Amino acid sequence: MSLLRNIASGLRSLFRKERVSHDLDDELNGFLEMAAEEKMKRGMSRRDAFRAVRLERGSLEVAKEIVCSAAWESFVETCWADIRFGLRTLRKSPAFTAVALLTLALGIGANTAIFTLIHAVMLKSLPVASPTQLYRLGDNNSCCVMVGTQEGGSFVLYSYALYENLRDHTPEFGELAAFEPWTSDLSVRRNGSAAEPYRGEFVSANYFNTLGVRAFAGRLLAPPDDSASAPRVAVMNYHTWQQRFGLDPSVIGSTLNINGVPCAIAGVTPPGFYGDTLRSDPPDFWLPLATDPEKWRLPNAAVEWLYLVGRLKSGFAPEPVQARLTVELQEWLSSHREVIPDRDLKDIPRQYIHLTPAARGVEKLRTDYETGLHLLVTLSALLLLIACANIANLLLARGSANGSQMAVRLALGAPRHRLIRQMLTESVLLALMGGAAGLYVAYAGTRTILLLAFRGASYVPIDARPSLPVLGFSILLSLMTGIVFGILPAWTASQSDPLDALRGAGRSTGDRASVLQKSLVVAQVAFSIALLIAAGLVTQSLRNLEGQHFGFVTDGRLIVNIAPSLSGYTLDKLDGLYQRLEETMQQIPGVLTASLSWYSPLGGNNASERVYIQGKAPDYRWTAPSWDRVGPHYFEAIGTRLLRGRVIEERDRPGGLNVAVINETFARRFFPNEDPIGQHLGMTDVSHSGDYEIVGIVEDAKYKDTRGPAYATFFLPLLQTPPGESVRGWVGAIELHVAGKPENLEPAARKTLADVDPNLPVLNMVSFGEQVAHNFNQERLIARLTELFGALALILACVGLYGVTAYGVARRTNEIGIRMALGADRRNVLGLVLRAALTQLGMGLAMGIPAALAGGRVLVSQLYGVKSYDPMIIGVAAAVLAACAVLAALVPARRATRVDPIVALHYE
Amino acid sequence: MADKPSDLVQGTLDMLILKTLALEPMHGYGIAVRLEQMSQGVFRPNAGSLFMAIQRLQRDGLIKGEWKSSENNRRAKYYVLTDQGRKRLNSETREWGRQVAAIARILEAS
Repeated sequence: MSLLRNIASGLRSLFRKERVSHDLDDELNGFLEMAAEEKMKRGMSRRDAFRAVRLERGSLEVAKEIVCSAAWESFVETCWADIRFGLRTLRKSPAFTAVALLTLALGIGANTAIFTLIHAVMLKSLPVASPTQLYRLGDNNSCCVMVGTQEGGSFVLYSYALYENLRDHTPEFGELAAFEPWTSDLSVRRNGSAAEPYRGEFVSANYFNTLGVRAFAGRLLAPPDDSASAPRVAVMNYHTWQQRFGLDPSVIGSTLNINGVPCAIAGVTPPGFYGDTLRSDPPDFWLPLATDPEKWRLPNAAVEWLYLVGRLKSGFAPEPVQARLTVELQEWLSSHREVIPDRDLKDIPRQYIHLTPAARGVEKLRTDYETGLHLLVTLSALLLLIACANIANLLLARGSANGSQMAVRLALGAPRHRLIRQMLTESVLLALMGGAAGLYVAYAGTRTILLLAFRGASYVPIDARPSLPVLGFSILLSLMTGIVFGILPAWTASQSDPLDALRGAGRSTGDRASVLQKSLVVAQVAFSIALLIAAGLVTQSLRNLEGQHFGFVTDGRLIVNIAPSLSGYTLDKLDGLYQRLEETMQQIPGVLTASLSWYSPLGGNNASERVYIQGKAPDYRWTAPSWDRVGPHYFEAIGTRLLRGRVIEERDRPGGLNVAVINETFARRFFPNEDPIGQHLGMTDVSHSGDYEIVGIVEDAKYKDTRGPAYATFFLPLLQTPPGESVRGWVGAIELHVAGKPENLEPAARKTLADVDPNLPVLNMVSFGEQVAHNFNQERLIARLTELFGALALILACVGLYGVTAYGVARRTNEIGIRMALGADRRNVLGLVLRAALTQLGMGLAMGIPAALAGGRVLVSQLYGVKSYDPMIIGVAAAVLAACAVLAALVPARRATRVDPIVALHYE
Repeated sequence: MADKPSDLVQGTLDMLILKTLALEPMHGYGIAVRLEQMSQGVFRPNAGSLFMAIQRLQRDGLIKGEWKSSENNRRAKYYVLTDQGRKRLNSETREWGRQVAAIARILEAS
């Protein structure tokens, strides 16, 4: 109550200031007069009486001042006064204000942009009910399809049978859902129109119940949908409904043709829901696991391919549940020995389930981008520090110019803390204004970063618009920034000696402010060189990555990704489709070579499988080699060289000799001392080791990992299988080697494909170069941002050096005049000014380069083909910085040489 | 101490003002005079501290002010103790008594 009354009373005196002040005057006057009357009654004259009262009780003005300043509203009032004063000061020096605001907007904006991403990727929970009750069974992001025990013993991927067992025997979970770790391509047709590609995720029917998501319209999946005999249904993402179906309400309940099967759209998820994993291109549709087109997975208890997330009932701690799950897991594995390969049986007792909090879902982006984001946080913080140093410097220079004003105010009795407070108010005001402008920079920056980071994606469910936490962060950061860059100049100014004002000062050359200014420039140079070197390292690393020898040629190549399985092709029709595709694509004008394959290099896909070499014992030391299915002319089409033997040709068809082509690493690993050509290999088990004859060796090429060496790989013809087996690995990519720009061929390719089969879903077309470039999104993002930050730091450091030098010249005009009058020539004067600037530059470099070397060691894990110290990069960075700095210092230095001694001496 | 009015023990001015007003409603000057009389000239608060204390008490809701005309037809702001103020005075008086007794015991110990 009393707090409320206090606030009310304070507000009254703030808003009815005159009235309240008038009341107080009346009261105090009354006090004075009553006291005086008393004294006059005792015989004093009126004048003496008033004088006596003032002596006894203090002056009324002082009393009023004391009473007013004791209340909290007076603090508000002085703040308000300081703010108005600050605004006036800022308006009076528009150039300073503009430079400071721009610097701050960039500095705070960059940090806010990075925070927006960190908030979205690392801090924000899934938009679901009570996300903290969600736990994931497993602690890493292993993918995708596995058999047997799992790496390190931590179970992450589960077979459907194991999922059902855990779901039905762990009552601590209110719900336990299973879903595929990836999203799948869907081919969707609406009312007989052409097939369009969408993304889908196959989930258990209790998925939405587990996550606690309610339908925005219609209904979501429900347990009966798990049955294979249930009518086909799908749930649509709100974003998809909005973007692709124009929020048309008639879509809900209607039937779409998904992967060749009619499917009712049961409902739409709420806006903002993107599924269990924050990722680019989230699912457009969620479908029941029972409708997964890869039908062999669900009934096979050996195939581990599902992620599990459960909602713990309230009151249950994760640790005991985790222990119970581990027991259940080991019991299940022990009682299902037939699904575990022999070599893994001994590992069963070491398998365990670790429950990880899943409030943020499956943290894929976080895992992928964590190091990159940390690096960006460091860099943007560094940039902001440089910006702070720069503005502190400008404020110091301005403060020295206003030094005499400060001194006068101090001499007149202003308390130092009031001066500091007033100057800090001005800095914080500046910072808040800069922060407000920074919000726009942050918005634009976040969008740019998202575009860079997810190049090739059509939608990223991260909102670049500042949310409340981001806004709060930005305001806090602005406040802190204002204090950081304001405190030094404010302190220095408040320390000015009142006597200076009276002496007409400004002559001394070694005052505190100029030492501070120089140290700030040194710090700026040090930070800038560190940023420039970092930019050099990551840029060189990116160039090495992109320019490396991949084992194929990207120039003039177009990749068309298709999905025949989605439009209902069956095995018997594949041969015809492949032949027609090979023929027609080859005939498109401008196509030099056309070929087909299961998947193309660096397109995100990779398959691996154990091989058995005829006449050799199985060797489990190595990870399973990769394999791909390729058509005739494939290696020619992507520009991979044949080293020995022959490639896969037209004659390598079903019924002919089953052949395989291997790469160099495969040859080295499995045939270290013999000729691989003519040897035999096979998959599945030892009895198949004679299935394929090796007929050729091609050069190594990178298909998945861009940094490590190429995987050992073998290539099989598109349709050859051991007798009685059906083909695994259907064609998913068409490779076209074309004359001219690959993009120009897209319409012709699309038309040809439509001629072959209008229902054949074309997932996307992308030039080979662009497909490869998508692999370096994170590296490119970091390189571009570091370059940008480095360039900004360079500019800021040069502005700082220019400012300090120019200010020094202005202050020493008098001294320079005397020197020239005494015979110093222009060269002497130039040297005098430049020497000071170069000293700061040298000190900055001396401090920044070792710091950059230390930082480089942290960076080295991110670098490719660059050492943490590269003398060339350090040399170039230092040279660029030195050149810019000398230029910045030269301008005021030349002005110094033009000082006319007569004018200089007359000055003052 | 004879020549110069003594400084009040920190925080006691509020309590003394409450005590003064417990006797009868009073304006600022009246409070000052009464304090001086009752302390036989030992306490003579200056206007600044007096009115600061009055403002504080008013904001805490312990006293209420009202403009009235005084005995010699002058408009003055009279202050009245509120119920809350009366309670506070009682509790503070008790606490003061306890402390003074305790201090006295310490000082008299030999």
